This record gives sequence, structure tokens and C-alpha cells, in this order.
Amino acid sequence: MRDKSWPELVGIQVKSVLQLKNVHKAFSGVPALAGVDAALPENSYISLLGPSGSGKTTLLRVIAGFEQPDGGEILFAGQRIDGVPPHERGIGFVFQNFALFPHLSVAENIAFGLENRAVDPVTDTRVVAAKVRDIIGLVGLSGLEGRAVTQISGGQKQRVALARTLVTEPSMVLLDEPLGALDANLRTRMRGELRTIRERCGVTFLHVTGSETEALAMGDTVLVLDRGRIAQSADAGTLYGRPASADVARFLNCYNIFSGAISDDAFESPVGRLALGGAQQKSGEPAYAIRYDRVAIRPLHASAAGDEVRIEASFVASEYSGAAINSFFTLDDGRVFEVETHLSHAAPETFEEKARYALVWKREDALVFV
Amino acid sequence: MNASGIKLGLGLYTMLFIVFLYGPLAVLAILSFQTGPEGGPQFPIIEWSTYWYKHLFGLTPPSRIAPLPIEQALIRSLTLAVMTMIVSTVLGVTAAQAFRKKFRGSGVVFYLIVLGMMVPGVLVGLGMALVANTLGVDRHWWGTAFVLHVVYTFPFAFLVMLAIFNRFDPSVEEAAWSLGVTPTRTFRKITFPLIFPGVLSAMLFAFTLSYDEFSRTLFASGRDLTLPLAIYGTFSVEVHPNVFAFGVLTTLFSFALLGTYAVLMGLSVRRARRMAIQEDT
Repeated sequence: MRDKSWPELVGIQVKSVLQLKNVHKAFSGVPALAGVDAALPENSYISLLGPSGSGKTTLLRVIAGFEQPDGGEILFAGQRIDGVPPHERGIGFVFQNFALFPHLSVAENIAFGLENRAVDPVTDTRVVAAKVRDIIGLVGLSGLEGRAVTQISGGQKQRVALARTLVTEPSMVLLDEPLGALDANLRTRMRGELRTIRERCGVTFLHVTGSETEALAMGDTVLVLDRGRIAQSADAGTLYGRPASADVARFLNCYNIFSGAISDDAFESPVGRLALGGAQQKSGEPAYAIRYDRVAIRPLHASAAGDEVRIEASFVASEYSGAAINSFFTLDDGRVFEVETHLSHAAPETFEEKARYALVWKREDALVFV
Repeated sequence: MNASGIKLGLGLYTMLFIVFLYGPLAVLAILSFQTGPEGGPQFPIIEWSTYWYKHLFGLTPPSRIAPLPIEQALIRSLTLAVMTMIVSTVLGVTAAQAFRKKFRGSGVVFYLIVLGMMVPGVLVGLGMALVANTLGVDRHWWGTAFVLHVVYTFPFAFLVMLAIFNRFDPSVEEAAWSLGVTPTRTFRKITFPLIFPGVLSAMLFAFTLSYDEFSRTLFASGRDLTLPLAIYGTFSVEVHPNVFAFGVLTTLFSFALLGTYAVLMGLSVRRARRMAIQEDT
């Protein structure tokens, strides 16, 4: 679990390094950003989660200055930067495809910004060499200084891209799906490394990703972008446990969601009346959500206890993932319902295909959006 | 018809095509070794000699055949080709750079540029001569003809660079900007080295097209002739094999130019491939 000392909770005034106020951007009439408001705290790791097409890459490019917003304000370290060209912003950018300079060696790639930047370029080659050596040590590239960047592996390219940016000491680095081009093993390892490197440098990382697990694992704060707006901004625990809307819950990929309406003491869903009793969340779009791992599978004849909700469904298939097993059921309206059973709690049961089972959960575990 | 029959047919066709392509050049090369000064530009070869090559460089005793009046023309043509190459390549690179972003009227501008290589050369040459006369401008190879050469070769350089920029990944430039490097410096240190092979191709195009340009130059060059015009001029009196000898030499020069280009390109390609191989191991 993430460290919960989220500074605002303990009342410390957090200086925000970047503020977005009502940022708009449309491409030939189609809105990509529809009024983004956010304040990113200094010295923290922020992940920006959004499904494809949510405008997350556009937002990053607008912050970096590669695209101009149609409206709104962007404040970086208290200064308005919308309209300022990218090279005068002092914001680092790490690309998904790394975008290394193919004609330069690893060391030359890293030294490029120091030597060529418009403000305060480092002309003393010894100073450049020392800084490059330090940062190469930090990101773990020692011994590869002289290699051409076409000669190194994906993970090493990632480190060069990061080192090249960090060596110029920006106060903020934008990372556009930085782990997207790496294989699964390396991705998990780089997650930890990115967090360590960031902590050592004391900069703010804004990490864009389409993967909910990556967003939750990396971010001190997770921003969820949906249809060009920030749908939720919270720490990982809060986001996972209390998504702000049914859409956010859907991106997290761990909730069964029913649409419907509240009537008296129950939620009228397409699969019947679901008794209320859990947390209610204002969101404007009524929905009922139950986490995959809060549901128990019981034989059809088993009845529910007083504080439980029970529905019936037929078993389709299950998927084994080592520590857990995910079982898929079809409800009476044809919708798929997923149940995650952690194997540390129970040995895997075998279910009969097309047979009907009772799916049961505690009322208070459900999340109801009103 | 079976597969090997098709292969044979295609092979034969290709051979005929190559003979057709290089036949004139071979005849020219053979006839350039005709004996002189009495031997003419026809078969059979009376006796093999290098007389006409010596004649070209003024190494033969004086005879009734005057030396080719091309020395000045050669210098003019080379100068003109180099001037054209530089200007067209610079224009081509900058214009293609401008076309990387859509701008208002970019479609019209594109066709206006490309028109320069489409319109018939004789007409443009004549038009330029008329305009020059009307405006009272003297026609010179370094003036009116030079302008037409640029108009003609610039579209080629532009199209080559457009294709190069099409495959260019703009995120490396954005990466440089985000490191605090100005767009101008980024172009010099990042973009230009990466598009250099394309620039080389554009230069080669512009140089060779300008070097043997005839129809535009015919009307626009005024009194002093360029090489193609001077050679054409010698045909009007009597053709001697010294023209063929000169033809062989210029062809060799072109090959040398192509060879240099191939070596330069090969170096950059080989460098890329070596890296790719090392990555595999």
C-alpha cells in the first residue's frame, strides 16, 4: 500500500509546480481537451490514467508546448507558459519511442541538452563530462557511454532518454507512456527504477499511461482523464476503493457495473433489485458497482444472509493468473459478470460450464453512484 | 509456356533493352578511337588510335580540323551547375521544411513549384528571352539562364526532400526543444545531420540536370554558350570523332560523380547496418 501521508491530509501547504485552468484544445472541431483543471504538487510522482482517445497525450503535448491550447491557462512555477515556445519552458519530455538522436552516442545524447540549450549552456567539457558521468551512474548505464544509441536494448534506450532529460535539471518531467515499448518483465523492473530515480532527483514526474495497474503502482497521485476532462484526482488507494464515477470505475477494470436507478431502499438494475447499504457517491450518472474480488460464488441452493445481495448467473469460463482466478458468468440480460478469487484464501474450485450459480456480496461492499 | 521459358524470354528482353540503352554509347566510345586526322565518324575503324583524345588537349600537330571550342563552355557549364546545385538544394530543403506543416494555400504553392519541371523547356526559354528583351535585361548564362536552371531543378530537389521529411520522425526535434535547445540550433545539430543523405541526392539531381540542360539554355543564355550548346554548335559544320572522345570523357566524369555519391551514401548505410548487426548479436 502506498504511503498515506498525502501532504494535504496532514495540512501541509503543498506548492503546486503546475496548474491547469480550464484548458481547451480541439482538432478540426473535435474536442480533445474539454476544460482540464488540475494542480500538480511539487516533488511527487503523478500518473495520468486515461483510455485511448481520452486526450492524455494531447494534454502532455500542450503542457510541453508542442501543441497550443485553444483556451485556458497553464501556470508553471507560478508563471503563465501558454504561448511560450517549448525550449523556453524548462519542462522535460520522455517519449514513448524514446526519440533518441540516432547519429549521436549514448554520452553525446545525454550531453546534448547541456551543451546546446539557449539558457546557461555548459561550455566547459570537463563539467559536461562530470555531469554526464553522474547521471549515467544514476540511471545505471555505466560502460555504455561510447555506444551508438542504435546499438542498445529497449530498456537501455529508456534510461538514455531519461538521463538526457534529467541531466538538464528540469523541475518537471513529462513521460508519455514511457514503458509502453518495453516487454513485460522489463516494464515491472523499470517501474521501481523510475520511482527511485525520481525520488533522488526531487523533480515532479507526470507519467501518462493507459494501464490502470501502472497508474496505481506508480503515482503518489493518480489523475484520471476521461473525454478531455479530469474525472478524478486522488491517491491510488482512494481511487481504487472509491472511484468518483461509474466511468472511472470502468477504467480501473476491477468493477462489475450496473446501470439503473435508485428507488427507496434498492437499486433497480437490469438483473433485479439490489439492496442498498454501502457507500454512496455523487456522480450524476446512477450506477451500481461491485468489485470483482468482493463477490463469492455459491451453489444455487445457498441463500443469502441478511446483509448480503444475491444474483444468479451461469458460468462461462475461468482464467487462471497464478495468485488469483477470474471466473466469468453471464447474467440473465446477457451481460458478463466477473469474479476474482484470490487463491491464498481458497483452493480453486471447479465450476460446471453453463450451470447456474449464486453470486453473493455484502451490501456494504457495493459502491452506489447517485 | 513453362516457367523457364518465361525466364528465358524475360532475360532475352532485358538483354535487348540493355543493348538498346548502351548501344549508342558503345558506338560513340569505339569511334572515338578512330585514327586521325583523316579518319571520320564512321565505320570501319581504319586504325585504332588515341589521336582524337590528344587532339582534344591540343597535343597533336596543327591540322585542318580546328580544336573543339569548348574549353570556356565547359568552365561555364560547371560553374552554372554548381551555382544551380547550391541554390536549388537550399531552396528545396527550406521549401520542404515549410511544407512539413500545413499552411494556407500550401496546395496551390505545391503545384506552382512542381510546374517548374513540367512546362516545356523551349517555351520557358523563349518566354524568358522575351521577358528579358522587354525589360531590357541582357541575357547571360549566369543571369537569365541561371534563373531558369533553378526554376527547373528546384522542384526535383524539393520533391526529394519532401520524401525524406515524410519519413522523418519529428519527435527527435521535439525532444531537443524540450531540452531547452532553440529550433534553429536543433535544425543545425539534429535535423540536418539526419536528412543529409537526402540533401546529397537533391544536390546530385540539381547538378546533373543543370549540367546538360539544353532547351531552356538555348534561348536564355545569350552570347556565351554552355557546354551542351557549344557541342551542338560543332555539329552544324562537320562532325569529327573529337566530339566522341569528349563525350567519353564527360561520361567518365559523370560516373566519377555518381561513384562519389555512392561511396558517401554507402558509408552512412553501412554504418547503420553495422549497428543493426551488433544489436542482433
